[in-house]
Amino acid sequence: MTDMAASVARFTAMGTRVELHLFGCDDPAPLAAAKAAILSVEDALTIHHPSPATALNDALSTDGTATVEDRLLFAALLQVDALWRETGGLFDPSLGHWSALTIDRTNRRVSTARPLTLDFGGFGKGYALDHAVTALLAMGVGSALLSAGESSIAVLGPHPLGGGWPLAVPHPEDEGAWLVELELQDASLSISSTIGAGAAKPDRAAMIRPTDGAIVTTPATAVAAAATGAEAEALSTALLVADPAARERLRAAAPDRRFLFPHAAPVGAKRALEPTA
Amino acid sequence: MTDDDFALSRRTFLDRVLLASAGLGMSTAAPWAARAAEDIPKGQRVRIGVIGTGDRGRTLIQNLNKTRNCTVAALCDTFEPHMAKARAYVPANTPVFTDHRKMLEAREIDAVVIATPLDLHARQTIDALDAGYPVFCEKAMARTIADCSAMVTRARQRGKILQIGHQRLFNPTYLNALKRAQAGEIGPITQIRASWHRNRSWRRQIPPGGTEREINWRLHRDRSAGLMTELATHQLQVANWFMGGLPTRVMGSGSICFWKDGRDVYDQVALIYDYSDGRKVIYTSMLNNARYGCEEQIQGSKGTIEPELGRIYQEVQPGAVPALARMRADVQAGRKNTVPIGGATWFPELPVTTPGDSLGWGEYDETMLQFEGFGEAVRSGKEVPGLLAQAYHASVASLLGEQAIDQGKALAWPTDLVTF
Ligand SMILES: NC(=O)c1ccc[n+]([C@@H]2O[C@H](COP(=O)([O-])OP(=O)(O)OC[C@H]3O[C@@H](n4cnc5c(N)ncnc54)[C@H](O)[C@@H]3O)[C@@H](O)[C@H]2O)c1
Repeated sequence: MTDMAASVARFTAMGTRVELHLFGCDDPAPLAAAKAAILSVEDALTIHHPSPATALNDALSTDGTATVEDRLLFAALLQVDALWRETGGLFDPSLGHWSALTIDRTNRRVSTARPLTLDFGGFGKGYALDHAVTALLAMGVGSALLSAGESSIAVLGPHPLGGGWPLAVPHPEDEGAWLVELELQDASLSISSTIGAGAAKPDRAAMIRPTDGAIVTTPATAVAAAATGAEAEALSTALLVADPAARERLRAAAPDRRFLFPHAAPVGAKRALEPTA
Repeated sequence: MTDDDFALSRRTFLDRVLLASAGLGMSTAAPWAARAAEDIPKGQRVRIGVIGTGDRGRTLIQNLNKTRNCTVAALCDTFEPHMAKARAYVPANTPVFTDHRKMLEAREIDAVVIATPLDLHARQTIDALDAGYPVFCEKAMARTIADCSAMVTRARQRGKILQIGHQRLFNPTYLNALKRAQAGEIGPITQIRASWHRNRSWRRQIPPGGTEREINWRLHRDRSAGLMTELATHQLQVANWFMGGLPTRVMGSGSICFWKDGRDVYDQVALIYDYSDGRKVIYTSMLNNARYGCEEQIQGSKGTIEPELGRIYQEVQPGAVPALARMRADVQAGRKNTVPIGGATWFPELPVTTPGDSLGWGEYDETMLQFEGFGEAVRSGKEVPGLLAQAYHASVASLLGEQAIDQGKALAWPTDLVTF
């Protein structure tokens, strides 16, 4: 590729900073479309102000039933449902109660057998980037890197200089050290960690293992690459909260794309950088 | 420190004050500073009678001794052990008194310095003014707003100088901070969060011959407003100064929360002072946790100043992700490098811990400078401009805060104050 023209958007959304880097494109329209896509996902899924998601939560928290009119929210529910199955229930934005939900696809009706609420959290970021990628592809963009809070990254097409995008996940505590290096193309990456600067966010929700309700505090970082942001988010969360047996099953299915790095070595000791076996 | 070193450090200090006070708008915001740093003409030293030789009084005596235009010519205290300590700082033949009126009647002084418990300031100031003497009185001015006003009015009636001790007004770090704020470096100031937090009882041990009410006057409501007059005054002065105006109203709450030792002044207070255009000063003071210490966090849309720490901070915008900025530069340069990115979600609203920049200029005794200013005022008969208004408004703000706490309601800034 010879045309190095690049355009960039930086803005805050979903409680963090988002950056969209487009290469080989100096038309402002795709950038604006990608940003708009992210903001509409945020509007649909946020629980920080009234939204389709909070309206749904109001109904489900009284073990009620609701018709989901919002297209983005309903599509998100269907994807979560598939990912909940794929991860054996380890990815569950209802914190362990997803099995109580029934989704009627034809009538877009959702009902629950017990009170629950949904928090799309990290999934929302991956899902928003997926929609941004779709918007960019529709407008002919061939090369882009998108980041939401640096924990969700999507790459579209090849690197502007050809081949995949070389990405490295830094060690959260060892400056200069990397946990893993990956070369990705048309893929998404999600990182979930119980440590690092962002993990100290005051009102950050605890990581909970949905299968038994345990709070996961073990210092660890999970990394997952997948075809979509939604899937990458579900897998990194599942890897972080899984018990050893379940984690091994998840990893074995794609050992070069799913990693869990424990950081449990004593302070000051050289920490193991190998993924858990 | 040799005399030469002292002269040199004095000169550097004065240069810093001059430098700091030379900024745009500073002649209005701190008209006293440039004047105080001027060279002092040779002449007779102003003979000072000091009333109150306790902790502060003795510090003041040592500072008077450093000035080029004042000398301590008489001491007055009712408590002999304090007087005995103070005499160590003055010539052996310095006259001493136990009644300030006797000292005034002796007519061997040119001016009076007062460092006694708060409830005595008004009476002693007015007695000295009536006797024809200029007065330097320690902050806070008086126990009531009416007495603060009476002091100013009497000084005017008698045509005598009245100056109140607020040393931050002469502190080069504060002056420099104000200069930078005036230059717009931190944007419009909309909130000042000030606190004075200590972790000690504030109770002094009573020496032989002393009494609880005399030694621990700060802990007795009829003598002092406690945290409000003894600590908050300093910071409310700073707040008014940086806000460039006066509060419109104050609301507050106070309690005797931790030191339930018989005191009847609050050991914890929290207040909000409203200023024009919705600006606010949020003030807290307490006596059982010192982590946040003494500070005024002066906050504007572009930055923050913390003068006690002597630092200025620029607002940190959610910056570009460094790794992605590098990636762009690499691509531009035709390099394909690994992009290190990823971790717990970046979150913008943790407290910012950037180190900021120094406002410069270490400690030096600005209390001395207040006295050189006072000495020149006495000699020339012209007050150091601007100081009294600052002190008066700081004392009114602290006493109004006390009233708002006592009455449990928001109180408007009084309309019957002395004007300047
Ligand atoms: N500017 C500052 O930073 C600063 C710091 C400390 C104190 N102060 C102020 O200085 C003043 C004194 O505080 P302090 O800590 O020195 O108190 P202190 O109790 O140590 O000293 C007060 C002195 O006044 C004497 N006194 C009491 N009644 C008297 C009377 N009728 N005539 C003469 N002397 C009398 C007492 O015996 C005592 O020696 C207060 O107004 C206080 O707010 C200012």
